[in-house]
Amino acid sequence: MAVKRQKAITWALGLAASVAILLWKPTVLIYGLQTAGLYAAIAIPMGLVLGIVHIVNLAHGEFMMLASYATYFACKALGMDPLFAIIPTALVTAAFGWIIFQITIRRALKAPELNQLILTFGLAIAFTQVINLMFTSQTYKMPLDYVSASMDIGDLTFGTWSFVFIAMAMLFSFGLQFFLTKTTTGKAALAVGQNPRGAAIVGIDVYKIYGLVFALALALVGAMGALFLTKSAIFPQVGSPFTMKSFCLVAMAGVGNIPGILSASILLGVAENFLRAFRGTRGWADIVFFVLIIVVIMSRSLKGRKS
Amino acid sequence: MNRSTSRIITMAAIAIMMVLPAFAGDYPLQVARNVMMYMALAITWDMLLRSGQISFGLAGLVGLGSYATILAVVRGGMPDWLSILFAGLFSGLVAFGIGFFILRLRHTYFSIVTLALGEIFRIIIHNLHDFTGGPEGIVIQQGVMFGGKSGPLYWLTLAGLGVALAASYWFEKSKFHFALTAIRNNEVSAKTSGVNIFRWLLATFVITSAIQGMIGGIFVQSYGFASPDSVFSADFTLLPMAMALLGGIHSTVGPILGGILLGLVSEWLKLQIPYGHLVVYGLMIIVVILFMPSGLLGIARKAGSRKSTDENQRRAV
Repeated sequence: MAVKRQKAITWALGLAASVAILLWKPTVLIYGLQTAGLYAAIAIPMGLVLGIVHIVNLAHGEFMMLASYATYFACKALGMDPLFAIIPTALVTAAFGWIIFQITIRRALKAPELNQLILTFGLAIAFTQVINLMFTSQTYKMPLDYVSASMDIGDLTFGTWSFVFIAMAMLFSFGLQFFLTKTTTGKAALAVGQNPRGAAIVGIDVYKIYGLVFALALALVGAMGALFLTKSAIFPQVGSPFTMKSFCLVAMAGVGNIPGILSASILLGVAENFLRAFRGTRGWADIVFFVLIIVVIMSRSLKGRKS
Repeated sequence: MNRSTSRIITMAAIAIMMVLPAFAGDYPLQVARNVMMYMALAITWDMLLRSGQISFGLAGLVGLGSYATILAVVRGGMPDWLSILFAGLFSGLVAFGIGFFILRLRHTYFSIVTLALGEIFRIIIHNLHDFTGGPEGIVIQQGVMFGGKSGPLYWLTLAGLGVALAASYWFEKSKFHFALTAIRNNEVSAKTSGVNIFRWLLATFVITSAIQGMIGGIFVQSYGFASPDSVFSADFTLLPMAMALLGGIHSTVGPILGGILLGLVSEWLKLQIPYGHLVVYGLMIIVVILFMPSGLLGIARKAGSRKSTDENQRRAV
């Protein structure tokens, strides 16, 4: 009962805050939601890997960075639009991720958690630095016309292209929900996530599922890498903030809670854009996620002490 | 290795370090300083690792200490030597404040929050533009400590390494060793045996952070300049990690061993591949974790124990 009331209060507060922001500075809410879509779409695959393979992939954003670079040079060579590259990039990234999983992460699955963290951290550094070595720290950007599309409502003008990220986040979220609850493989993956030993006993090939889920997550990351390229310039370190922010969102939502990631990213996206809206506070937007994670920790530890 | 040989090696190492400034030129001393600095960081990183918590925030704390020193000197007019101690104190205090929250987290959560620390400190430095000089950095106007003479700077860095070594030795010989090992092995059983986990972790985090901040202070005093890119450089996180892992974690000897090996290699690599030499450390970390998680020391120990069992078997026959 108390939980229900608390939930209702949270929802009411959130709604009131968004209505207030909508009336006062509508662009903050619009851009906030767009940013939220981007964050959520990148964080969902990390949540999937954490929930089922039980690995925190510190190279998460770096995989996306690699996908973006691959897309950039493929599109440059073939004169192709990055949008057509989404599915091929997803497939290539998935294959690449599967190979990386088999030769490195799989060996560390039985090792202590610390080893896995250091391993994926090493992967992240290796990826960033290989790109740094090959293409230097120069930024690359695709000149695309449709990205600057905008819309007017009354005297309000805002960019519309980034709504594609929201669509993507929705697609990932519902697609995964469908995959995990309706298909046999998805149900097996869910079982492995809940209890690997039990899943092995009933005849599920646990390691095969791990590889599959990792590849699936990387397919989503790869698709986001291609899509990210349409909007943003890329450079070797472009992925690392996304690793941290994704983890922040997954931690806020709680492991295995995909809808939670969506609401957490709305909070993060709107808060960041709220700070960006003022000249004086613009530079501080990037530490919002850190503050959020501290607040979440605090409230959880207080709650833990109460109960 | 028995006690007398290890004592001889230690004595020899101390002797070499003492006489080095007498005959080595400026460049070898500069290399030695870098090696010692990274080694000190590797040791402090390992000290926290002994409790089972990984920090990815080395660069953050080094950078914090660097800025504490340089701002104390430039804005506060503090004497050089005092500013280095101030860096240690300041980093320790910040670590206490942050640790109070983030040490309620364990393992993964703690590690990732520390990973963010470097980024957070960097953003704060960027934004406090008027006070910190922002992205362009800040210079000590009156010049480098000791007028940039390599001899005294060598002794200064050696002192920094000495503090790290002493702390690590103290950790190994005192109650810290038992407390941290108990926490690493099993927190629940540690707690039931009356170990106050939070307090021990906080103490360890504060002590290691203070030393890391002090090393940052020494770094900035030897170069007379700090910018977000130079003092929050990923080198400060990566190289010490790679050193400690290669040498063998959970010991003082491991990071020293890895520090000497990798430190010399890294100076050579910096000349060979100026941009992107970090890729070597990234790959090294991966290989060490996958194939020799206990490092060179672990391999040596295994070889040693195999030898002794061989001897025992021979004797038995």
